[in-house]
Amino acid sequence: MLIHIVISGIATGCIYSLVALGLTLIYKSTEHVNFAQGDMSMVSGFIAFTLFAWLKVPVPLAFFLALVGSLGLGLVMEFLLVKPAIRASHFNVFIITLGASIVMQSASGLIWTHNEFPFPSLFPNKSLVLGPVRTDAGSLGIIFSTSLLMLALFLFFKYSKTGTSLRAVSQSQQAALLMGISVKRCFALTWAISGLVAGIAALLIAPVVFLSTALGFVVVNGFAGAILGGWGSLPGAVVGGVILGVLENIAPFYFPSEIRNIIPFAVLVGVLVIRPSGIMGEERRRRV
Amino acid sequence: MRRVSFFRWTLILVPCLVLFFMAPLVLSKYLVFILNLLAVYVLVAIGLNFVMGYTGQISTGHAAFLALGAYFTAICATRASSLPFYVLLPMAGCFAGLVGFLLGIPILRLRGFYIAMVTLAFGAVVSEIALQWSSLTHGDDGLRVPSAFLGTFVFDSDKRLFYLIQPVTILLILAARNIVSTRVGRAFLAIRQSETAAQTLGINLSWYKTSAFALSAFYTGVAGALFAYAMTHITPDSFSLSTSIDFIAMIVIGGMGSIFGSIIGAVILTAIQQLLGSLAEVQMLVFGIALIVFMIFMPRGISGALRSWRAAVKARKKQSLENTPKGEGYP
Amino acid sequence: MKATGRKAIFVIFLFLLFFGLVSRGSAAEVGVSADSVTVGCSNSFSGPLAFCGLEMVKYGAEIYFKQINDQGGVQGRKVIMKSYDDGYDPTKALVNTKRLVEQDKVFCILEPQGSSPVEATIDYLEQQKVPLLFPFQGLPLKGRMVFTAHTVYPREAEIVVDWMVQKKGFKRIGMIYQDDAYGYTYRDTATPRLKSMNMELAAQEPVKRTSIDLSAQMAKLSQDNLDALWMILTPGPGAMAIKEAKKEGWTKTKLFATGPLTDESFIILSGGEGEGVWGFSDWPDPVHSKKPAIAEYRAALQKYAAGHVPNRYSLFGYFYAKLFAEALNRAGKDVTREKLVTTMESMKNWENGVIPPVSFSKDSHAAEQSGFMVEVKNNVFQPLSGWVSLENGKLVERPLGE
Repeated sequence: MLIHIVISGIATGCIYSLVALGLTLIYKSTEHVNFAQGDMSMVSGFIAFTLFAWLKVPVPLAFFLALVGSLGLGLVMEFLLVKPAIRASHFNVFIITLGASIVMQSASGLIWTHNEFPFPSLFPNKSLVLGPVRTDAGSLGIIFSTSLLMLALFLFFKYSKTGTSLRAVSQSQQAALLMGISVKRCFALTWAISGLVAGIAALLIAPVVFLSTALGFVVVNGFAGAILGGWGSLPGAVVGGVILGVLENIAPFYFPSEIRNIIPFAVLVGVLVIRPSGIMGEERRRRV
Repeated sequence: MRRVSFFRWTLILVPCLVLFFMAPLVLSKYLVFILNLLAVYVLVAIGLNFVMGYTGQISTGHAAFLALGAYFTAICATRASSLPFYVLLPMAGCFAGLVGFLLGIPILRLRGFYIAMVTLAFGAVVSEIALQWSSLTHGDDGLRVPSAFLGTFVFDSDKRLFYLIQPVTILLILAARNIVSTRVGRAFLAIRQSETAAQTLGINLSWYKTSAFALSAFYTGVAGALFAYAMTHITPDSFSLSTSIDFIAMIVIGGMGSIFGSIIGAVILTAIQQLLGSLAEVQMLVFGIALIVFMIFMPRGISGALRSWRAAVKARKKQSLENTPKGEGYP
Repeated sequence: MKATGRKAIFVIFLFLLFFGLVSRGSAAEVGVSADSVTVGCSNSFSGPLAFCGLEMVKYGAEIYFKQINDQGGVQGRKVIMKSYDDGYDPTKALVNTKRLVEQDKVFCILEPQGSSPVEATIDYLEQQKVPLLFPFQGLPLKGRMVFTAHTVYPREAEIVVDWMVQKKGFKRIGMIYQDDAYGYTYRDTATPRLKSMNMELAAQEPVKRTSIDLSAQMAKLSQDNLDALWMILTPGPGAMAIKEAKKEGWTKTKLFATGPLTDESFIILSGGEGEGVWGFSDWPDPVHSKKPAIAEYRAALQKYAAGHVPNRYSLFGYFYAKLFAEALNRAGKDVTREKLVTTMESMKNWENGVIPPVSFSKDSHAAEQSGFMVEVKNNVFQPLSGWVSLENGKLVERPLGE
């Protein structure tokens, strides 16, 4: 019986990982932290909602258009917010993304209200029994999609020309520039991909937690997952998120209710104290 | 030359101070209450600046220290009601400072966003403890805070509290200024510019980083005690993540690395919240836009912008001086 | 000290100058003028309860006041409502409330929201002798000038425990509850009441307000062989719990929703899996009920906010604004805060066509102390009982009245 809790925890963890992935993508190339990552998911979800609920567009088409929209949202964010602050410190960009998060939440509230809405799922609503284990199509679907996305990103970064240029930029902007890579274009592309990841996250998360302007709160857990797994590492982001999700689900079985909410954070602090770069993080050398 | 300006600023400063302390007699209760809260936020901003502005570490859970100071004061004042405020305040500060020091020790090995995450976790843990340890904190029902007293005089109104909160705040501002202008302050600044370089100058990184954290926690703890007196009733909901983020916004708006920046950041944030209040559901939207615009056009905060403006004016003056042909009466 | 001190004091002076010295002409009573009465509240227009806040203030109370102002107002005075956003932060709630009382000079505080935010203001309001009317929250509040609205949670918990044990014969009752004052209140009322019947909660599982996965808690509860699972949650997690129960294949355990959870959005979010779920309802169905008073509410909504979907929050706002206006009217032309309170305390059996007749007294400041049980059938809450209340510790049932 415990197994389906673990599977559910992994699925929840994948949700955290998706947010962590988007955060890490942007951090890796630009060293900026995007506080509005969760809210980008939220807006993408509402774009889909407007299409299928208000404009009666068929759901699959609405989903596709929403993903296109999320790509665009990433680009818009980069253009509007980060370019003007390109010489600004990381604190400032963090505050800019914080402002963006607030703006997205209130603007969405004004357009769609702060109510909660059901959201159609990509996966059928069925229970599956595999031997002694009972689970459901939804959880497996989330795990499968996240793995697929991870694989796609891995292949993209490792083997494609664009992906390699992105990696070059994240290692050293100077060197990349010298190699003839348009750093500005790479930044824009990174944000676009991050936006797309946010959009995919919305399609997977919203059916479970329902669509509302509060969807972005998952970003806090995304941060935790990303750091646990190693900030700056893409697989680390996923591993960290999954561990967090599983921990949260197992905690009620082993810990009294008073302290179980502290467990994930305590583990986080513990891991960081023992291994500061997180489970899979990289030690980045810094220039003086 | 110097003697003249000393005399001049005393002439301006003393009446200003006198007027300031007469404020409760002429202002409405509400404005006095706002000024009291403003003083609390100024202290938090100065505290946070020690960590973020001076040594460059991010703390995203600073509301936790505010909570520690507030709950310490509320609990002690309830259980040991004979303790006067001038004992409670430093004790609250030291309690928070001690926790800050203990937290600082393992943290100082971490960098940038790791510290942000650990402090975020710390904030969540303190909030959770305040909620769960209900035998001590009354959990979600909250704690009533007994009024501060001095002998038989009880600070049971906003106007009376003004005379407790403001002098304490001014004292702590002066102390902060002193700290900053000493070797300690310069060491903090050096660490923020570049940790590696600071080390080469012989600055003991771990000692200074941990002290910065402890000092910051102390200030925020005292602010928490004053906060408890001003609010008269505290619940865990007052010390949330969005509170911590408001604090960060304060010092980024005001400008990091300067006491003046801390003060003006607190003032601006409070002023914005007051001004936008009547917008009800549009308030947060305007606030978010204001934050973005601010950060794009004044990236070093208001104090930074003022500094550059003053520097630009000076440079222009110098240039016009140089351009003036000699023999026009200038030595 | 030089530069900083000078600058700092200068800055603070600018600040003060900007807000200026406040003094308004005094009227016969604060907030009451010849042609208007001003009321106000600090509410959530952002944050977790933004939807409820906006509905009850903008589409509830303000709609009612628009309607009544168009008909000439109360005792010839228009009712003006001022509101500020506190985002469920008790600090902001206190700041807003002090602003309303001292700057905006409101007559009373009407319909604020949230146990924490309201708690932060209650001492202040009692001290300033400002009436606090009908806050949208469920804790029993005590105060000379405080009047509560819908059935407070402890009262609801007592009624539900008695009903479950006496009327339905449930033996093994479990509870899944939100990890805050809302959840604790039900748990801490139900536990001693069950004890007095030589029973106890067969299981209890807390859930964090922001949780997105309840599978662990529901899995644990599956093992407890429960007759009923009492859900003290908000609509989102509540719907998740239902879906999880379906996944776990529950057939025997009856799911029971609290008052705040018995809300139409709960049915919508459960996506059809909520059939058969029971609940405690504070209100008749705002969308389908044919009661004239509810039809009047729907008509007002249609008139002043065409197309806006009726729900229990705007109904709350509308109804309690109406109750306030009734009391204001009865208090007469030369109304004061004191007079309003005594007038309210003398109200007996006010027929309103929505909830049972409202009565107040010196000792009882609660507008509603009952509810009726419902079951979800065809995605609508259908009544399972009449209005149930506790009188002298005994369950009493009265007809619903259609």
